Amino acid sequence: MILVLASEAVLFVLAVAGILAERPLPLAATGGVLAALALLLRFSPKLRGALVGAFTAHRTGALAGAAVFAVLLPFALRASPYWTFVATLALLYVTIGQGLNFQIGTAGLINLAGAAFAGLGGYTVGLLTVTGGWPAWLALPLGPVVAVAVGASLFVPILKTRGHYLALVTIAFVFIFNILMNNFEFTGGPQGIKNIPTLQVFGYAFTTRLTLFGVALPAHANFYFAALVVAGLTTAVIRRLHDSWLGLALNTLRDDEIAAKCSGVSITRAKLTAFSVGNFFIGLGGAFYALMVGFISPPDFDFGYSLIMLSVIIIGGVDSIPGVVLGACLLLPLPERFRFLHEYRLLLYGVVILVMLLYRPQGLWPAAVRRYR
Amino acid sequence: MPPIELLLQQAWNGLMLGAMYALIAVGFTLFFGVLDVIHFSHGDIFMLGAFAGLSVLAGLAAVGLAQPLVLLALAFVAAIVITGAVGVAAERACVKPLARSSPLMTLLATLSLGLVIREAVLIFYPRGADPKPFPRLLPSGGFEMGGVLIRYDNLIILAIGFAAMVAVDRIIKGTRMGAAIRAVAQDPEAAQMMGVNLGRTVDATFFLGSGLAAVAGILTGLYYSEVHFIMGITGGVIGFSAAAIGGLGNVYGAILGGLLFGVLQTTAAALIPRGSEFRDVVAFAVVMLFLVVRPSGILGEKSVERV
Repeated sequence: MILVLASEAVLFVLAVAGILAERPLPLAATGGVLAALALLLRFSPKLRGALVGAFTAHRTGALAGAAVFAVLLPFALRASPYWTFVATLALLYVTIGQGLNFQIGTAGLINLAGAAFAGLGGYTVGLLTVTGGWPAWLALPLGPVVAVAVGASLFVPILKTRGHYLALVTIAFVFIFNILMNNFEFTGGPQGIKNIPTLQVFGYAFTTRLTLFGVALPAHANFYFAALVVAGLTTAVIRRLHDSWLGLALNTLRDDEIAAKCSGVSITRAKLTAFSVGNFFIGLGGAFYALMVGFISPPDFDFGYSLIMLSVIIIGGVDSIPGVVLGACLLLPLPERFRFLHEYRLLLYGVVILVMLLYRPQGLWPAAVRRYR
Repeated sequence: MPPIELLLQQAWNGLMLGAMYALIAVGFTLFFGVLDVIHFSHGDIFMLGAFAGLSVLAGLAAVGLAQPLVLLALAFVAAIVITGAVGVAAERACVKPLARSSPLMTLLATLSLGLVIREAVLIFYPRGADPKPFPRLLPSGGFEMGGVLIRYDNLIILAIGFAAMVAVDRIIKGTRMGAAIRAVAQDPEAAQMMGVNLGRTVDATFFLGSGLAAVAGILTGLYYSEVHFIMGITGGVIGFSAAAIGGLGNVYGAILGGLLFGVLQTTAAALIPRGSEFRDVVAFAVVMLFLVVRPSGILGEKSVERV
């Protein structure tokens, strides 16, 4: 138990140091320590065995420790509102990634329209609050509902097609969504929707600066904690679904549709469920994003973002729930850390995904084999 | 209802666009035929072809060559060779190694490869973020026929497009390599047993398809008088849609699908209000509908799943 908490603490300190180190020397030192630890783990089976053993024995403790450190993160980052924002964004991508992974990884439904479903959530919230005058907390849950409803209307082509054709249908949908948002009057066209009111719960506005235990936190800390709760709940729900009979049925369906059908899986119902559950969480991420940033426009939800969502899954590990968390926490902050590479960001994304697919297609944290007890 | 002349004019314009789409679609369908993969970076290869042509033209202009005919011929040849080589490299690097794994992997790999090509042009081509003016090499002017204005440059573009299609037809039907491509498409193992070199055939297919994309790229440049690094995305999606409408794996289906998509786009632009903005919505919606009603495409064979 001590080993688990100690290793988590070391990782936390190193991550914070890596984020906050501004000058090259401390940054290089942090990177060096991380690399040394990684090499040590790679080449010392004894140490690796001890760590794996400790983490499997104290699962709950490890999760609780991780939660505590996640809560502590804004305190460590209080000097930098920007990094709090990036951390929140990473948490939103955990939510979106879990939804998308449920479709692509678990059910094998290749959905390249992630950006469009996130956009549906975001635009619903934007339109309801700005044009409709709804309070933000009431609009927030409706975003994912609209994403699910529109997704269901797309369902006939999705049920009828598979593989390449399914990819084509979803790509076409992203394009249709973008053209429509760009040209409709009521969505603000290319200017998008500005001044989306912030979230208010029981009279508490999320933009007020939070002071906890005498520490003044950055303005985004409220959103960070909310996103942490959302991401945690999403991951828990997806975990339960994945471990249930539904997850098993979806895995079977993904691997062999005909065999699944013969074993009594209702293809239509299973696919519709997987697609709707995924879209719900993707839409939730988009709706939350709209409230956090307060401004949305068509380029926020174009095809490139579908690819970024996809990379989160590939880097982490297809069908791997902890992998999605890892992928989002690596893929969102790292490019920000290397801002001088900003111009090359998408190029590097592409190269990294290619290398991963060619040499480690199972991802950084491969999906575990199902266990039955 | 718009006057019939307008519709005819739009149909003529659509035919022109369709010829370019068809050239891209033929690539998609050829690759699907031999390797059973969708090469999603093909759209960006098409964009690369346009930029290769543009660079060659700029280079030739710098050495003082000014004969449009010579310029065009050289640009086409050079762009086909360059783009074809890139296509073969792409196939060897990330299509063939993944051909045996799940379709999802190939799809993701080629999508990311497309991203890499797109970003590389954006970053490394001088001022790559801006649309680049493409030299006007074709004669201007035109004539009217039955209320339809036919411009000479459009006529030439259409002629080159159809010449390329006829050339593909000749290659596939009339040469040894074409026979090998058809054999591999039918059954790779059996083809190999008959002495077909699989690796070389696949290479040749990718060279052919990518070269056609380069032709489409230059034609697009000539038609719009500008090229932009982003054009590969729409070009690729439309090309794939056209190949899917026609029936994946069938070259004539791809040509038919490309022409159909072009005409669909332009007539939608004429028929519905604010059509020029919503034409792609209509076209893609029709593609979706088509995949539901007839998933195997116009000329595709009905696929039978064996257990």
